[in-house]
Amino acid sequence: MSTVVEWERLVSAALVGVERRPEGDVLGRAAAHVVGMRAGQPPRHGEPLPAAPGEEQAMVPRAAGDRLARILDGEQPRLLPEWLEAAAARGYRLPPELLPQVLDHGARDRSLRAPIGVLAGARGRWLAGLNPAWAYVQDEATPVTVPEPVVTTGTAAPGPPMDLWEYGTRGDRLAYLRTLRRADPAQARELLLQGWAKEGPEDRAAFVNALADGLSMDDEPFLEDALDDRRREVRGQAADLLTRLPGSRLGRRMAARAERCLTLSGDRLVAEPPAECDAAMERDGIRSRAPAGTGQGSWWLQQVVARTPLTFWTGRFGLPPKQIVRLKVEEWPREVRLGWERAVVLQNDPEWARALFAVEPLTDLLAVLPPAERAGQAAELVRGQPVDGQLIMMLGGIPGPWGPALTDAVLDKIVETVGHQPWNLGELTRLAGERADPSGHATAASRSPEPAVQDVADVLRFRHAMLTELGPP
Amino acid sequence: MIERWSRDQVLALAPDASSKKGAQSVSGPAKWPVAGVMPDVLWGECKGSGATPYRACVDLADTAYRCSCPSRKFPCKHALGLLLLWSADGVTPADEPPTWVGEWLEQRRARAGRKEGAGPPGADGAASPGPDGTGSPGVDALRPPGAGGAGPPGAGGAGPPGADGSASRSAAGEAAVTDDGAALLGAAGAGPAGAVAGSSADAAARRAAQREERVMAGLAELERWLADQIGQGLAGARRDATARWQELARRLVDAQAPGVAGVVSRLPRVLADEDWPSRLLGEYGLLHLLAVGHRHASGLPGPLRDTIRSRVGFPVSRDDVLAGELVRDVWDVLGRRDDEQDNLTSRRVWLRGRHTGRFALVLSFAPPRQPLDVSLVTGTAVDADLAFYPGASPLRALVATRRGPVPAAPPDGTTVSGALTEIATAVAGDPWTDSWPIVLRPATPARSAGRWLLTDPPSSTPREDGGESPGMPVHPVAGHPWRLLAVSGGRPVTVAAEWTPLGLRPFTAWDEEGRLVVL
Repeated sequence: MSTVVEWERLVSAALVGVERRPEGDVLGRAAAHVVGMRAGQPPRHGEPLPAAPGEEQAMVPRAAGDRLARILDGEQPRLLPEWLEAAAARGYRLPPELLPQVLDHGARDRSLRAPIGVLAGARGRWLAGLNPAWAYVQDEATPVTVPEPVVTTGTAAPGPPMDLWEYGTRGDRLAYLRTLRRADPAQARELLLQGWAKEGPEDRAAFVNALADGLSMDDEPFLEDALDDRRREVRGQAADLLTRLPGSRLGRRMAARAERCLTLSGDRLVAEPPAECDAAMERDGIRSRAPAGTGQGSWWLQQVVARTPLTFWTGRFGLPPKQIVRLKVEEWPREVRLGWERAVVLQNDPEWARALFAVEPLTDLLAVLPPAERAGQAAELVRGQPVDGQLIMMLGGIPGPWGPALTDAVLDKIVETVGHQPWNLGELTRLAGERADPSGHATAASRSPEPAVQDVADVLRFRHAMLTELGPP
Repeated sequence: MIERWSRDQVLALAPDASSKKGAQSVSGPAKWPVAGVMPDVLWGECKGSGATPYRACVDLADTAYRCSCPSRKFPCKHALGLLLLWSADGVTPADEPPTWVGEWLEQRRARAGRKEGAGPPGADGAASPGPDGTGSPGVDALRPPGAGGAGPPGAGGAGPPGADGSASRSAAGEAAVTDDGAALLGAAGAGPAGAVAGSSADAAARRAAQREERVMAGLAELERWLADQIGQGLAGARRDATARWQELARRLVDAQAPGVAGVVSRLPRVLADEDWPSRLLGEYGLLHLLAVGHRHASGLPGPLRDTIRSRVGFPVSRDDVLAGELVRDVWDVLGRRDDEQDNLTSRRVWLRGRHTGRFALVLSFAPPRQPLDVSLVTGTAVDADLAFYPGASPLRALVATRRGPVPAAPPDGTTVSGALTEIATAVAGDPWTDSWPIVLRPATPARSAGRWLLTDPPSSTPREDGGESPGMPVHPVAGHPWRLLAVSGGRPVTVAAEWTPLGLRPFTAWDEEGRLVVL
């Protein structure tokens, strides 16, 4: 073997040619060099990685892990979110060799990150630390770290969970805050208040939203202050929450604006948009810039209606919701209805939702109804409507598992549509397979020999096996 | 009792991606109303679209498959699906096989007995699902034709191409050859020494002498050509060498030195490297060494002479290999890799003898979509006699006799310095060695200057060098070895890898608990 210097001289001689720069037996020496290099390869030195911490979660059962591998390999790929969520709900961790693929999925699709945060386990978080593309894992809640909070009576400092609040991932802290909020709303608010000024904007936005659970007028002063936050997301979330408190100062201010915008005149409503969007309105969550194609006035009107407590209208007009929504609105009927619909979603008011759904069957409204009623309404709609974009969208808004009534309605619809619009079936069968109750796979299979129905049954069977493998939640 | 294979192990048997998919679609218990397993045989009836179910059966001891479906793929998706079901613990153990399974086993045993008496041991004389129709439904499809005495030069130097007279005329010098010497691809009979059968010993001797002359002349020309390149300088190589290499490779094929032709035809890869002048000079040096070695062969020790002849491209017949020394051991199947090049798939399966510590490479070749040897399953172990091809660092081998499976265990391995010594020994025997299997046990992943390494675990190494452990770099084509890193978690694992001058290509790992992961 030649030295580095000798070898470099040899290479440069070979490059220009030994006719110009003579060097004895270049090829023989080159061979000796290469063979020497291969045989005499010295070890390289490297810094071993620190070992991953031990696991506290159980690994998914082997059959379940195999099924995940199948899904990752392209079999029923749309069931990946369901598998991940079901496995995470049971507190499992993934077999290590599947981590890279799953972490890649999470890097591309945000909606998968929460379950991946749980399933990653200690190994997954360790691995994510080696690849910036997987850094998101560190923000997600980990499974074992959210103990039942110690609800203290009086002023005694909470115990060990405080560590979690101090040092946990954002996801862990949020999970802790939510758990504490369910147990003791006031203590959760106090905890939030203590370090509020020091929280980063991302965290503030995430944490304000946690107050939705157990919301009461006690939260009003804090939320009112949050309307002045530097971060727009924080302001918007605070305004949304205050809208749900009819007695809040924001609710009253909004009602005062709404009162000028909408008046009852005989059996009809007269609408008049606000003349301007001043700073006070903006502080209360009204966005001044209308989206392209929308007039300024109508945009403001719609938002004022959306942020006005729904109880205000029943009191002001002395009518129940189902009569109010049928009142004829002069000049701005669409804006008023959009405002109410948005208000129903914001304020989660089933009575208004029911009333508005009767006028216009919107998915968003269905979501506000109690699950059983929601499925019943949807089933009725499916029976009465052709398969079109609206129907698909409506169904897309109904989370699984669908009960028998809705499932039957959809399967009948599939059979009915096969004959004359088979090209429209794709989305419908897909939704049915993914949303219907998987334990009904045999019933679905026996309903019709139609291949599309059998496809649905196949997916249900796959999901049924998948959930069985994962074991009881 | 055979340990259940993992899903990875089963899927590694699939001949292609679509079989993998197909297998998964028939792997559910609902598809197999009838299925059973005994210690060494697995069977089932698969509900298809037709009236009669397909009957699939796997001889777990010998790794042979049978299915009544008309698929030409091997193993077919039913056999694979059944294996997947078994792998998921979905097959109930039985005490007795159904009649059709029993009959099949009996036929196999009878044939095995006949074989032992007649042909060379281990010759895969069983029916293959080839185009001759022997693979039709109901007929046993046991094993595909094994690799012949020849392989493409792309097989990492272990398999010189071209059987007698069937060297392809393609520039790459690739020749696909079946067991019986018939060319599958390329210009059959293109070589001047065409027919083999029925020729007299004289004619054979004449042909052999003729070939010696041609090779000698071809390599002499190569020596002059190389000297010429060095004389004029390599600087322009990146601009115009590729066409000249093609021409040179073609002439070397004509000179019946397909092994050398293969090396030349792969030279363009070198140019992609930033350090190409250095690498090209190295490659030219090795070619030069081979030509000189061949010229002086008569004065060299026998094994080195064999190595040179195989690198040049002289074939060794299967019978000659099998007539050599047999090495009996428990062979751990370390892993395998398929490469597709110029319409030929080559499969390398690496083995390691549990007692001898010897490595072996079993090569097989087939045109795309034709079955390859599937009898060696990664992570299993088999008691067998292996016959090694002659050479100074023998690696390539044929399975002469299989005695049956042995409980699998993670293979034994060595430290980094042990592996480096093994490689040094291999290169010292065969200076053209550019691929060699290693098993590091235990190894941990490490980083150094942006590259991944496999090192000895920190604890087993005296920390004289600032806390760093000696290691071997991972080949750049392996990228970030995330799967390996995930399996290891920074803890010691057993890793089987292919050593190449540019770094390791890991192919199988066993974690701390001995669980196998195909990388």
